[in-house]
Amino acid sequence: MATEAAPRQPTPAPVVGALRTRATRFGELSRDVLRNPTTLVGLLLIVALISIAIFAPLLVEPNTPDPYQMPRDWGALNEPPGTPGHVLGTTPHGGDVLYGVIWGARTSLRLSLIVVSVTVVIGLIVGSLAGFLGGKIDEFLMRLVDVFLSIPELIFALAIAAVLGPSFANIVLALAAVFWVKYARIIRGQVITIKQNEYVDAARVIGDSRFRIFMKDVLPNSITPVVVQGTLDMGNVVLIGATLSFIGLAEAGLAEWGVLVSQGQAGISAGRWWASTFPGLMVFLWALAFNLVGDGFRDILDPKTESKR
Amino acid sequence: MTTARAPQPGGRTDEAVAVASVVGLKIHFESKAGRVHAVDGVDLDIRDGETLGLVGETGCGKSVTARSFLRLIPMPPGIHAGGAVLFRPHQRCPDCSGIGCSVCDDTGRLPVPCPHCRGSGCSVCGDTGFETIDLSALPEQELRKIRGDRIAMIFQDPAKALNPAMTVRDQLAEAFYQHRTGEVLELAGLADSSNPLLRRHAGQRSRLIERALLSSPGLRSQRNQIETVVDSMVASALAETQIPNPVKVMERYPHELSGGMKQRVMIAQALACNPDLLIADEPTTALDVTVQAKIIELIKELQGRRKSAVLYISHDLSLVRRVCDRVAVMYAGRIVEVGRTEEIFASPLHPYTRGLLAAIPSRSQARGELVAIRGTVPELIDPPPSCRFVDRCSYAVAICRELDPILQAAESGHDVACFIHNPPAMAVELPTFTKRTS
Repeated sequence: MATEAAPRQPTPAPVVGALRTRATRFGELSRDVLRNPTTLVGLLLIVALISIAIFAPLLVEPNTPDPYQMPRDWGALNEPPGTPGHVLGTTPHGGDVLYGVIWGARTSLRLSLIVVSVTVVIGLIVGSLAGFLGGKIDEFLMRLVDVFLSIPELIFALAIAAVLGPSFANIVLALAAVFWVKYARIIRGQVITIKQNEYVDAARVIGDSRFRIFMKDVLPNSITPVVVQGTLDMGNVVLIGATLSFIGLAEAGLAEWGVLVSQGQAGISAGRWWASTFPGLMVFLWALAFNLVGDGFRDILDPKTESKR
Repeated sequence: MTTARAPQPGGRTDEAVAVASVVGLKIHFESKAGRVHAVDGVDLDIRDGETLGLVGETGCGKSVTARSFLRLIPMPPGIHAGGAVLFRPHQRCPDCSGIGCSVCDDTGRLPVPCPHCRGSGCSVCGDTGFETIDLSALPEQELRKIRGDRIAMIFQDPAKALNPAMTVRDQLAEAFYQHRTGEVLELAGLADSSNPLLRRHAGQRSRLIERALLSSPGLRSQRNQIETVVDSMVASALAETQIPNPVKVMERYPHELSGGMKQRVMIAQALACNPDLLIADEPTTALDVTVQAKIIELIKELQGRRKSAVLYISHDLSLVRRVCDRVAVMYAGRIVEVGRTEEIFASPLHPYTRGLLAAIPSRSQARGELVAIRGTVPELIDPPPSCRFVDRCSYAVAICRELDPILQAAESGHDVACFIHNPPAMAVELPTFTKRTS
């Protein structure tokens, strides 16, 4: 089949196998990141935290049967850091703080990835429909978004998680329900701006269909703020997720930073600081890292702030 | 495809059949203050192969008229309040498949006989014998086939009219994928291939999963063939616009090109499919003067070779004088005067055209002295039934406030909408108007 497909007419072929890459753009982006010290610090932190999450089973022996549950050592309650076998000490329930810190990273990565990807997709669909089609659809979808936005996100997530009952899955659900509206708004605004560009008219002039124009002209040029918001939300989701589990909306024994902080808080006044401090520090670092990188992306990707650098 | 010859192949002369005719077109816009009559009864013929200049000041409706050819005006708020935009599309010359031969007079295009009367002339085709389509009533799907293929457009600011996230190659390839699917397959040696995946890919309708399938080892070579063919089509389209090193330019993003280069890319895109009508909406306004001249020369040269009709919108009268065969002067949503360029510039008939020409600074004027037409453009919201120019006209008399002059022939091939030259039937006092003697 391949042999009979030889070209009938010789084509003037100066362009065979030309590269179809965006190498220049990516090169510029990575150069900008490296030039910006705070972004670089954030990026290194993210790499470190995600490495911990990915290599968790290699760093500490996974608990059986469910590695996301804290292993219990009933013979070692409230041991201080440095105890043999418990480098960072233990919780009042005999949980190893080091295990919680490491597997908590994995829990957080799972949480933030699921929530951010689900909300980006939902927000993208809702925002695109509203912005690109406009009219009554826009009106309806945006009023819906307004309803969601009118409730403070923490309270709303709290309400959903409380109604559904304490479990990790319900936290994911609650956060997803809260976070998608932001993306819908961002995308809608972007799409409305971008679709007024003359290159959209130019694409119509060539004879492109509306769907094709949306996919090739509108969406790629609208996506930048979503990347920024998505990065910031990777941190925010973990922060709010930890808050929800701190007040007891996750399963009790979950290897999750918020759960550990809440277990350790009672002992802080008695001098047993470790069970709260180490996981608390992890939440702080996680949120900080993604916020630094998110802000960095915003500065780099937004041409309006270019002069500031 | 019909191979029947057009009824009068020798029709490509001065009085050639209109490739597009605007008939009584009215486009209004609904606003809070009322209905804006942006285009209010425009009649205009663009003859095959000619360059028609459409001039007028900002807000007179020239861009709206031009955009109505491709139905680019958003509705709502725009309202199609009446009239039609008739278009007589050509087909690719079957004898030379678009390269240019003696049959098609080296244009690569041939008129299509009217399917209703088979070329003998009927009411549908306006007795021209050529297929005539009303663009203002065409379904979107059909219109898309005409856009970019039979009618193309060059925009004012090339920096805004190119997608910043796509390479020059991908933007130009778009037109070929959309309108030259068959040719792409043929040149890739896949004309007989019944593989729907490849066919869809050449028509740019392949979806993500299909593209993944096309990357499989069995199909990759054919896919590459399609893409190589399109690449070479893009390269030759670029080469025609005299861009230095087209193969390299293809890889670039718009922000890496200069303004002149970007406009060349736009021109390459517009002329990619050898259109019958090219709409140039102030194509050089955003460019600096040295580049302007080159772009104008380029459009003229490419048009001369392909004999496409060009609708040239501009408010630069000296440019229009250099480029256009005929000129239409627009004022407040109406055409007030149409005629051959030399005639319009030598003896303008409408007082507005006179004012416009007088406003061009000339060498005989003293430095620092500029002439303007007094007054401003009238509000286009619910205009009264009088001459639109009456408040600014120094020749105006009572009748001008009572009746609305229509566009009529004053001399052969020179139409004007003014009572001075086309007095109304009843006896009224008329202004005197001497022809310019220069």
